[in-house]
Amino acid sequence: MDAIFEDFKNAYLNGDGYLLSRTLLPIDPPSQPDRLRAFQRSTNHAAVRNDFKYRILYDNASPIKLPADEGNAWVEIYYFYWKAVGEILSAEAGTKTKGKWSTVYETWKELMNQLIRGYNNCNFEAWTVPCLYVSGKYLRVFAIKADEENLNNPDASTNYGDDMNTEAEKNEKLEDAARVLNRVFQLCLSDRAPLEESRKWGIYNIINLLFKTYFKLNSISLSKNILNAIQAYRGDMPSLEAFPTAHQVTFKYYVGVICFLEENYVEAEKHLTEAWKLCYQKSTRNKELILTYLIPCHLLTTHTLPTRALLEPYPRLQQLFLPLSRCIKTGDLQGFDAALVAGEDEFVKRRIYLTLERGRDIALRNLLRRVFVAGGFEEPKDTNTAPLRRTRVPVAEFGAAISIGSKETMENDEVECLLANMIYKNLMKGYIARERGIVVLSKGGAFPGTNV
Amino acid sequence: MYSHAPWAQQPPPIPPAPGTAGSYSPYQGTTTPPQHFASACTDMSITAPAYHTVQVRQSFNQAPMAYAPYVHQQPPPPPATSPEEPKKKMTWPEPVRDYVRRSFDPNNLYADVDRSDMEKKLKQTISTATDNHTIDTIDWASLPLPQQMIRTERTRLSWQRESVNMHLNGNGHNDLSTSKKRKSQDIRGGDDENSSSTSTPPWRNTNSRNGLEDRVSFQSPAKDRFEKHQQPFQEDKASKFQKNLEKRQRRFDGGYKSTYKQSPSPEPTSGPVVGTCQVLEKKYFRLTSAPIPSQVRPESILRQTLELLKKKWKKEGNYSYICDQFKSMRQDLTVQRIKNDFTITVYEIHARIALEKGDLGEYNQCQTQLRALYAQIPGGNPVEFKAYRILYFIHTSNRTALNDMLADLTTAEKEAQAIKHALDVRSALALGNYHRFFRLYLDVPNMGAYLMDMFVVRERLAALSNMCRAYKPDVSLRFITEELGFESDADAAQFIYDYNGQTLLEEREEGIRVLTGKAGATFEAAKAAAFKKVDIKGQI
Repeated sequence: MDAIFEDFKNAYLNGDGYLLSRTLLPIDPPSQPDRLRAFQRSTNHAAVRNDFKYRILYDNASPIKLPADEGNAWVEIYYFYWKAVGEILSAEAGTKTKGKWSTVYETWKELMNQLIRGYNNCNFEAWTVPCLYVSGKYLRVFAIKADEENLNNPDASTNYGDDMNTEAEKNEKLEDAARVLNRVFQLCLSDRAPLEESRKWGIYNIINLLFKTYFKLNSISLSKNILNAIQAYRGDMPSLEAFPTAHQVTFKYYVGVICFLEENYVEAEKHLTEAWKLCYQKSTRNKELILTYLIPCHLLTTHTLPTRALLEPYPRLQQLFLPLSRCIKTGDLQGFDAALVAGEDEFVKRRIYLTLERGRDIALRNLLRRVFVAGGFEEPKDTNTAPLRRTRVPVAEFGAAISIGSKETMENDEVECLLANMIYKNLMKGYIARERGIVVLSKGGAFPGTNV
Repeated sequence: MYSHAPWAQQPPPIPPAPGTAGSYSPYQGTTTPPQHFASACTDMSITAPAYHTVQVRQSFNQAPMAYAPYVHQQPPPPPATSPEEPKKKMTWPEPVRDYVRRSFDPNNLYADVDRSDMEKKLKQTISTATDNHTIDTIDWASLPLPQQMIRTERTRLSWQRESVNMHLNGNGHNDLSTSKKRKSQDIRGGDDENSSSTSTPPWRNTNSRNGLEDRVSFQSPAKDRFEKHQQPFQEDKASKFQKNLEKRQRRFDGGYKSTYKQSPSPEPTSGPVVGTCQVLEKKYFRLTSAPIPSQVRPESILRQTLELLKKKWKKEGNYSYICDQFKSMRQDLTVQRIKNDFTITVYEIHARIALEKGDLGEYNQCQTQLRALYAQIPGGNPVEFKAYRILYFIHTSNRTALNDMLADLTTAEKEAQAIKHALDVRSALALGNYHRFFRLYLDVPNMGAYLMDMFVVRERLAALSNMCRAYKPDVSLRFITEELGFESDADAAQFIYDYNGQTLLEEREEGIRVLTGKAGATFEAAKAAAFKKVDIKGQI
């Protein structure tokens, strides 16, 4: 108990929010491997509130004097922390059999409620917001654990609906946690204190937690509400650049992915690129995550593929993207399809399958371009002008190229359909003259952006 | 000893400001202080931290609240200190005092607006005015009262609120019905979700029980009885007070949970209902409370109902009747938690009928259930319905769901004919291969054509835009008919005509030509419009 309240005092003396937040960690710090157990044993149910009150409020030797309401709010917070620690220790020890993580979750939620109350009613200052980060982070963790536990023993929760709602029951606690986090978000957003001492400085951390939760809940659309809310408050908010870089990177990453999933690849690329640039150099895992979405983005927006050097440090990304890249470069359609099938599970898991699938267009473009280049040049009319490529290509030639490798030949109509797509998407310039069975390609840049 | 007076151990939520402690001494040790002081002080304590509430409240809890109902509405004195800077003395101008007085006037109070919320709003209003130095310029006489502001805010918020329950409950505050506690709790629930200014108090959480609070529970029966005894004599306003009182009590004695437990409002039953109803047909009615067994049909009856409905559907084909009956069947299955092959059959048949009638809303509900059911129990026709599900998501352009769908399918399922067809449809569209898409359209297994019909028009527009850009100078109408899966040249021509393409049709010796080279952006706008809105909840 002493260790924790020693930290508490120091944090208060120095206004060190992060130190303060560490007193609410539900895990042992590496330096004190037995801190939680010691804390849990240092008092008992009968004495706990008085003990804490004494340390926080009535300790004459203490250099800090808290106002009574603020102090009492902390007593309550630590009281629930103490209870939660007890539950966590017993849950981890596995002494109880049923619903142990649910209890942990509910107790931890009480702690959060007390914290929120502290901000609303007891004048907690803004420097203490890291406590919200820590408690919010673990609220989510405990909710997930509680849901996992409930998965095995679904009890008869009341359901007056017409149909069973299996999805919601599966994530009951996590959805509840999302609601609590949303309150914390509102708590930060609506703080009217001047910016220097505003809780708004905690907002992006909480938003990131919310995004993370919504992604897990598969209700990504809810993230939109958050984005709209901060958009509405943007006049009163510090600009994103002023926040800690860690908050910025995560936020931009999530916004990028949200845009990505909405097929807004231009926006997605913007946000992901910013996240990429700001990301801590040694944080390989985060950079890998960013690239997972940035690479497919690039493929669609600029039709470019990642270089080997870029992928060098990320073996997993190499595995994901290299086979596809190779096929796209060489215009190997069959190889591309095979690679897509081979990686399907991974791609689907990361929600990039539907985007990567569109890379086939680029593969096809590269194949058609090869046909065009292989067609050579027109007979020069006179020696002075630069040689012109043969711009009238029979549909059958393209058809042959597309059919190479696959056992069956594609009908001409379908080949034309693919060509029409290329033209429509502006990957190829020209037109199809159906009656004559030829494609007339543009003399200046038949395949835009590829130097031919 | 602890269990006798748990509130004595608990810190008062709003203790006095430091440095003012001396002023409470007159009340120390008093067992029954003047009640109007107690309530007024408690209620105002947030606004005016200088009020001394600690001892008062403690004794208040020990003492019976006999006189309470008649005095609580005393207008509290205006706050004597600025809420922001408790040390600085300042006197409020008369208009502000009057405003505060009016705010707490019993005639102006709203039962659905919490006193604490009101105080917070009031404090906010006044402190903003002080900070902005507008305290003298604001027309306090015409400024809406804090409770009015809160109401306006709530009304605005309620648009976004998903649940209508809050509304329903919020309006019935006048009757002292048995479910009063539920109501007040629901109102708070609404607040908690939507406004940052309320915090969720510990008692909201009915699940977290611990030894300590269990031990104090014996306190509440007495209180409960007392309240019930009091109720008949109380006026409307007194009930509001009662509510406040209860709320405050919960806040302090931690006995809320036990009070709640004993409340006569419908308790969550421990298991599913077992129905006893023997009538085959039943009109659908949305449940708002726990189901009554005598109105729920057991499975044996439901099986007969299904047979009856199948016959009726064949004979009469009255969709609104059938849909209603199926909904009530589904409801009966749900409340009894019946999950077996029969459940699957009910949902499958309803899904097919809805599909046939193009009732996508009902169909979607059924398929969502079917998905969960297939995952849990064997039986039914998962391949058929998973294929529909893919087509449905193609129709609604729901990429996220499609992705999840792909994640859920096993390799064997991907090879199954109907699912393979649906996946091929998806990939053909993703790659813009309209040639293949319309081949697939002409050969759909099961009832998939009903779903494909819903998006075939927009895909035709897309393909047509595409062809108009790519083909020059023209193509034969026959080609369009074949490529876009029309039944006849006439249908194709009609389609072009419908989308303002009449000038593009030209009759020549060799047949009708479509002047694709001249089409320009004829179909682009229609295409964009067709893709823009997908009527998901297209119920009939």
